Amino acid sequence: MGRLWAGFTELNEVREELRKTREKLQQYESIAEELNEIRYENDHLRKILNLSERIGYESIPASIIAQDPDNWFRTLIINRGKSDGVMVNMPVVAYKEDDKAVVGKVVEVRGSISRILPIISSDIRVGIKLGEGREPGLLYGASSNANVCVIDYISRAVPVKFNEPVITSGQGGVFPAGLSIGTVIKSEVLESSAYQRIIVKPVIDFNHLEEVFIIKKEPDKELLQIFGEVE
Amino acid sequence: MTVIPYIFTAVLIILSLIIQGHPSFDVISIAGVKPDLLFILIVYLAYSFGSFYGEVTGFISGLLHDAISNAPLGFLTFPKMALGFIAGMFGRSIIKSNIITVSLIIFIASLIKGLITLILAYIFHQASISTVISIILPEAFYNALIAPPLFFIFDKIYEKELEREGF
Repeated sequence: MGRLWAGFTELNEVREELRKTREKLQQYESIAEELNEIRYENDHLRKILNLSERIGYESIPASIIAQDPDNWFRTLIINRGKSDGVMVNMPVVAYKEDDKAVVGKVVEVRGSISRILPIISSDIRVGIKLGEGREPGLLYGASSNANVCVIDYISRAVPVKFNEPVITSGQGGVFPAGLSIGTVIKSEVLESSAYQRIIVKPVIDFNHLEEVFIIKKEPDKELLQIFGEVE
Repeated sequence: MTVIPYIFTAVLIILSLIIQGHPSFDVISIAGVKPDLLFILIVYLAYSFGSFYGEVTGFISGLLHDAISNAPLGFLTFPKMALGFIAGMFGRSIIKSNIITVSLIIFIASLIKGLITLILAYIFHQASISTVISIILPEAFYNALIAPPLFFIFDKIYEKELEREGF
């Protein structure tokens, strides 16, 4: 009789433990689901910002020693040249805090100095991808004295959000894909155009830029020949 | 003229280019526009010593400016040389030097230089009419603003030559 009673008590205890275990399992399941969601979101964001991919190129550190003395041009002169292995059309990046972002590309190389065409120059053209939708577009400097860029060839139908990241597309043979450029600050839809005009604020503050890194990536000559940039 | 004023001119040309090009002098730019000190010097020389001195200085300093800039050869030379010649036609003997006339001469000369550069930009380079507002007008105002004190300094530097010319 005593054992039978004890069996009932144990059964109740086991039932109670089972209930608690099921509750815990549900909690863990929901945590696992949440973790999966966070992992997915994290992977997605990494993909957008391309933080997961470290650019596998050597770089040459350089200092800006001069800039174009005329208001019509925006080029920068750095203290590295042919003797340091710098070549025309090599991409140039800089760090702002921990963010690596595009400065421009090398357009002229001499013995120990080189000239950089920055992304805020209206002479440059950079293939980009915009935001989560990775919409392709073309970026260039807005004007000769503004520190912002413009993206063209983004369809009017594409929704553009404030602060959306802009990265290099890798097309064009100069810049590696996934380098950060800036964020969207404004989008203008013109009645006369099928495309919208997107204003981008570069990550790099060109007024206070002192140190840059030239990525030792040889330009894709075949692509540049197609674009007529190499004779 | 003796050799001394030529040396002064060479030093002033190099000094102007250093001030305009070195990042340490970024403080002089207002809303992204720097004054064209070299151009002010050329107009001063043309205004004080005549068209020949102005156009030769404009040509030589313009070539130097082209060489250190990303500009195609001649892009910055031609406007300076042309304005050196034009400004020399309205010399000190015709227009008396005071703050208002100096500012006005530099303002009008800067506008003409800007328009010539814009035309050249269409030929050599990609240009936009928006540069009238973003570069030409602000630069002309800025040049006009700093021209009187610069003319005063240049008057001191070229004092003997001005006396020799009868001013």
